Amino acid sequence: MIRVDHISYRAGNRRRKILDDISCNILPGGVTVLLGANGAGKSTFLRILSGEQSPQSGKVWWNDRPLHAMAPAELAKRRAVLTQHATIDLPFTVEEIVLMGRYPHYGSKPSVRDKDIVMECLKEMQVAHLSGRAFPTLSGGEQQRVQMARVLAQLEGAGDKILLLDEPTSNLDLLHQQLCLQKARQLSRKGHIVIVVLHDLNLAAQFADAILLLKQGRLLATGPTKAVLIPELIRQAYDMDIAVLYPEGYLFPIIVPATNKKQLYVNN
Amino acid sequence: MALLLVISVIIASGTGAMSISPLQVIAILLNKMGIHLPVPYTEGMENVLLQIRLPRILLAALIGSGLAVAGAGLQGLFRNPMADPVLIGISSGASLAAVAMIVCLGGVGSYYLLNTISFAGACLSSLVVFRLARQSGRTLVAMLLLAGLAVNALCNACTGLITYTANNEQLRSITFWLMGSLGGASWSAILSLLPFIIIPVLLLPFSAKALNAWSLGEREASHLGIDVRALKVRIMVLATLAVGASVAISGIIGFVGLIVPHIIRTLSGNDHRNLLPDSALFGASLLVLADLVSRTLLAPAELPIGIITAALGTPLFIFLLFKYKRTISVAGA
Repeated sequence: MIRVDHISYRAGNRRRKILDDISCNILPGGVTVLLGANGAGKSTFLRILSGEQSPQSGKVWWNDRPLHAMAPAELAKRRAVLTQHATIDLPFTVEEIVLMGRYPHYGSKPSVRDKDIVMECLKEMQVAHLSGRAFPTLSGGEQQRVQMARVLAQLEGAGDKILLLDEPTSNLDLLHQQLCLQKARQLSRKGHIVIVVLHDLNLAAQFADAILLLKQGRLLATGPTKAVLIPELIRQAYDMDIAVLYPEGYLFPIIVPATNKKQLYVNN
Repeated sequence: MALLLVISVIIASGTGAMSISPLQVIAILLNKMGIHLPVPYTEGMENVLLQIRLPRILLAALIGSGLAVAGAGLQGLFRNPMADPVLIGISSGASLAAVAMIVCLGGVGSYYLLNTISFAGACLSSLVVFRLARQSGRTLVAMLLLAGLAVNALCNACTGLITYTANNEQLRSITFWLMGSLGGASWSAILSLLPFIIIPVLLLPFSAKALNAWSLGEREASHLGIDVRALKVRIMVLATLAVGASVAISGIIGFVGLIVPHIIRTLSGNDHRNLLPDSALFGASLLVLADLVSRTLLAPAELPIGIITAALGTPLFIFLLFKYKRTISVAGA
């Protein structure tokens, strides 16, 4: 479990708090989705949860150990992050990129197991056929799946893990969005902590077990998906009216904008 | 690669005003180590080889490997296959210091002093670049490149200004020094250069894994447990050591640091674990051969080696640019 204890964060010398006194618990066993409008502090929160940045006040505990006091080498074996807009200019091959995910686990030479893991992860993200290609020649969606494969390869091994995904579906087509988040859900069911930043509320409705809703650096709401994805809270978070529809025969709701309902239908 | 280096050293040592066959070269060298081969050679050959050719060839090999490995490391650090030691101001800092000294003292003076001064210039300019790119404890790579370009331009302007005020004789020394030459080769020059080259050549490959991860991006590398701050300092310091010392001894020898890592990339890929050691070996071979051309083409006169490397390097570089353009357009399609 991750326990976030009254953390605050200010950027540079500016007065404005990017994160303002956030406290919550993040449980393993389910996908936690981080929601909020642009500039709500999602990315900064994710950086702090990854150990990359320390909060100026407050603490983050992982299984009762202070996360920011853990050695980078140990953290690298147990925590993986998929960042946004990761570009690679040097023409490394796809296989080399995914093998980099195993770097924290071996010294100078990868073992047979490391290579097996790489192959396995390439297959899981359906990019095994690209393994010999130069990474910069891939399409945006293919690149994102390769990066996801690298992140999965990093987490393979004993012990409980943290997986952080910053908008993992932004470049993906419909099928691969589902594939990617299903994989995230699978990992969470094994007892790992999985935190995903999403913009698509419908994907959140489908895959989230718990939701953290941020607004202007403050935690607006936290709880199980059904309790947070309600029109009242979403209107507050995004400054926009929405409707939550429950189509018959489906397991999860659909969220649509509710402003100018009729006009919206006429225009489309 | 190691074999290529051995072969080029043997060919280069045999070629010159006095021709020595490859077998004789091997025999003379092994004789020094106490192994006697039944190959006849004269004492004159032995003297020429050990006193004149070998120091020069070893110097070429050292400088070639130093420039190439520094280039490979810097390209990795800047995540830019077009980065070059010349680009980030190390070389121009060294040459500014050297030119200033030539003009102030009214001549080349002692080579030893010239080397020390130009090495100090290299360290100073690289320090300035590094300080400029530092912001609240972090070094921004884009700033590093820009600061390097700025320092480079400033140093070149100052060098130009000083050259403008120089008299004829000084001008000749300056021009010759700037074009690069291995003419100052001696065993003592090799000994003074050796640590500055050997340390980067041996230590840079230890950063190979970190440099690979670094190419994913700064945050991504830190997520893989890499100490990114230490990595940046390490690469800059080692590259400055190698480039500064090389420029100090031989003047600016362009294109080796840019071209050699490129050729290795096309041959064996981007993995820095191969790239760094292979670049060192190939850079050494290339400069030994370039030096061979420089001293035999117009024999007994000597062509500055900087001209050879630029003349060979530029067409190759343009060819690589075209290839690079093709991969880009494939990616765009």
